Amino acid sequence: MKFKLPFNKKNETPVEIGAPRKDIGMLNPLKNDFVQSIKDATHNPADLIIKDIPPNHLTLIYINNLVDDVTLNDHIISNLQDKPNDTPEVIKATLSIPEINTSTRLEMAIKSLVNGSVLIHLEGYSQVIMANIPKRESRNLSTPENESQVLGAQVGFNESLSTNISLIRRYIVSPDLCNEKFTVGRRTNITVALLYINGIADDQMINTLRQRITDLNIDALLDSAVLAEMIDDNSMSVFPQMLLTERPDRFCDGLLNGKLGIVVDGSSMAIVCPQTFIEFFQSREDQNLRWQLATFARLLRFTAILLSVFLTPIYVGALTFHYEVIPQAFLVPLSESRALVPFPPVIEALLLEFIIELLREAGARLPTKIGQTIGIVGGIVIGTAAVQAGITSNILLIFVALSALASFTTPSYIMGNVIRLIRFPIIILAGYWGFYGIMLAFCFILIHLLRQSSLGAPYMSPFYPPRLKSMADTIIRLPLSLTSKRPEVTRPSDQEKFNPEPVKPDKS
Amino acid sequence: MKNFRFFLILLFLPSMLVGCVETNILDKLGLVTLVGYDVGTEEKMATTSAIREVNPEFQSNVEVITTENETSKGNRMKTNRKLSKKVVVGQMRVILFGEELAKDDIQHYIDAHLENESVSNSVYLAVVEGEMTELLEYEYKNIDDIGQHIYRLLEQNIKQENMISATLHETGHDLYTAGEDIFMPIIKKEEEVVELSGIALFKNSKMVSKIPPEDTFYVKLIAERFKTGTFETILQKEDIPDNLMKNTPNEIPIAFDTIHSKRELKLVNPNTPEFDLKVKIKSRITEIYPDVNLGDPKTVAILQKAISKNLSREISRVIAYSQSVDSDIFAFGEKFRSSVRGSNLTKEKWHELYKDMKVNVEVDFVILRSGVFE
Repeated sequence: MKFKLPFNKKNETPVEIGAPRKDIGMLNPLKNDFVQSIKDATHNPADLIIKDIPPNHLTLIYINNLVDDVTLNDHIISNLQDKPNDTPEVIKATLSIPEINTSTRLEMAIKSLVNGSVLIHLEGYSQVIMANIPKRESRNLSTPENESQVLGAQVGFNESLSTNISLIRRYIVSPDLCNEKFTVGRRTNITVALLYINGIADDQMINTLRQRITDLNIDALLDSAVLAEMIDDNSMSVFPQMLLTERPDRFCDGLLNGKLGIVVDGSSMAIVCPQTFIEFFQSREDQNLRWQLATFARLLRFTAILLSVFLTPIYVGALTFHYEVIPQAFLVPLSESRALVPFPPVIEALLLEFIIELLREAGARLPTKIGQTIGIVGGIVIGTAAVQAGITSNILLIFVALSALASFTTPSYIMGNVIRLIRFPIIILAGYWGFYGIMLAFCFILIHLLRQSSLGAPYMSPFYPPRLKSMADTIIRLPLSLTSKRPEVTRPSDQEKFNPEPVKPDKS
Repeated sequence: MKNFRFFLILLFLPSMLVGCVETNILDKLGLVTLVGYDVGTEEKMATTSAIREVNPEFQSNVEVITTENETSKGNRMKTNRKLSKKVVVGQMRVILFGEELAKDDIQHYIDAHLENESVSNSVYLAVVEGEMTELLEYEYKNIDDIGQHIYRLLEQNIKQENMISATLHETGHDLYTAGEDIFMPIIKKEEEVVELSGIALFKNSKMVSKIPPEDTFYVKLIAERFKTGTFETILQKEDIPDNLMKNTPNEIPIAFDTIHSKRELKLVNPNTPEFDLKVKIKSRITEIYPDVNLGDPKTVAILQKAISKNLSREISRVIAYSQSVDSDIFAFGEKFRSSVRGSNLTKEKWHELYKDMKVNVEVDFVILRSGVFE
């Protein structure tokens, strides 16, 4: 009895999937044949425009929704009309378009056409001129909604690759900022840009990431989150090993610490890797605050995470098995609020956690206009009514709400969801075996975390393997003057960020 | 693949053990907060327990149930038969012993509780003067939960250093130490209140005598278990020197607040045995009557001497009394055992020596301040 598991790929032979498009060959110098071959190759779409320009039998072919109308009128049609355009070279010189190419291959012409080019064909020549004037549709830059912060830049990435890269280039004005382009997806042909800073980022990591992207054999890629999951070290783990961020400053902070970044066209989230577990709980805002405030915020966040994961399980464990550990002052209120509840604590806790998750999910899916109702329904109706109906106890309601609240302090949305998810198995184990169950779950999670890696770098670094110097700037935020070295997890080629000598003279 | 399946099975195998764990769901439990043992009228052991029960219909209430049986577990089963909830002892705070039982033997009870893993080692032990059932089952006007009340009473006084502390842990330790005897606070019902009425002295595990609560201070001082606290003494006529004030009264009550105390114990002669006990007390005078001029350094020096003399006499008295009943609650025997090489001290051996023990008491009392406090 052997069953196949999706994550044992060792013995599988790679499946060769034939390209959907065949190499059609050379272009025809005759106008009618040329137009027909383009029509055949593109399956004659409704928005394919074929336009003749007198007097020299010029043919313009483009897809209406892909090209920029203004440029087309001002720089192509007006330049070509009523001019003696004899050869493709002359036409190429006439046009005032920055990106212009010629080709004799149909495949190239089609590829260029779907990328937003105007094909210009001259009767009798097999060469075709491809003037690239794509229409760039994108929304305006706005504040990052999922990763808002009080102090710091209020700009987030949008869905356009060129806008995003220009944002990054504004933050890091340096010729060392490298940008490599890849095309991913046989059907979508999405552009993916790999960014890093030459001289800081580790070559081996760049090679690994480059290879992982080029090795991808998928037919479509619609978002960077999908890409992140595909190139993760362990896609089966619940913990993300690469950071998804919509903040350019967080992205650039990563690059400057020797990390690698990936930007996907059409996605407003960029990928930063390698990322350690502890870095998911650090916010960029920590750098903007005074170190004492930032340390307080970080400690608060780590406490919140521990609370979020363990508070409800401890409640369940203590009330089901270990009544001895309940403080005496707590005993009477706790048992009185539980007295009317007909379920054992584990069912009670799971029910309430389920309701909270339901509210969160509904809040995320509901149209914004009726989203406010969820607050009222959740807070007042369900909360109060559940207690009055005797389904849950008051104290558990506080615990569950507290742990839900605490999980939202995580600066990474995905990690916040993970924190909420791993609570459920721990609650069930606490209901089975009490504190031993919680310990079992904790050990299981810890071992799992220790086994993970992010782009080959240890996930639990700097705690395991222990790196004492980097450890200082994890749970607390050190003063900037003490963090002159880059964290070792990225294996940066250049370790020093700045000269640790103070700038200001010593007070005498 | 095989490896993976092995681990998968290994992981899910423990889930078979789910039913094996005994659940104790809080609202289905009757929590014993206090248990009192006494000699039964019909059977060997009478147990009275204060049990906190939570009922959805009413506010939580406290049941006091008395049963008689041969063993404490048997008593628990008998108690269970009278209650709708499972009786558990994990939240127990106080264990009481009837005076009659204490005079008989309590070693079995201390052992039984030390061995029970759900009983905390920090429960307080005490001896009840008078009827156990009367103390616990009486409906006090101002006391709602008798278990809780006695616990708070003991805790409060022990933390304030008004009473010696006898937790299960400490008593268990003292009971099995060769050169030491155990002691416990005594509580007593006085009309509508429960009060601490003294200290029970034990020889081995049998109660032999008691001393009044006022002597707590001396006991703690000798045994070096005293840190800070308020104490009152009365200077007798023989303590008071003539040059202290003009019209010397017969006695001067004096209250002081100890800031720091230190005890030094030295075995000077292992044959008798003979000890040198030096006690240093730094304190401030909080009350003195009649008024003594404490602004004058000479008067203060005289007063210090007078108090030192008084204290050393009181300490000698307490030691002499405990010697007369053969109960070494001050752990002189431990000092003896640790000072004499190869003594192989046992309880019996020490009790032989203890009767003839000599202690030279020397008290050095220093008044640091007087005037306005608190």
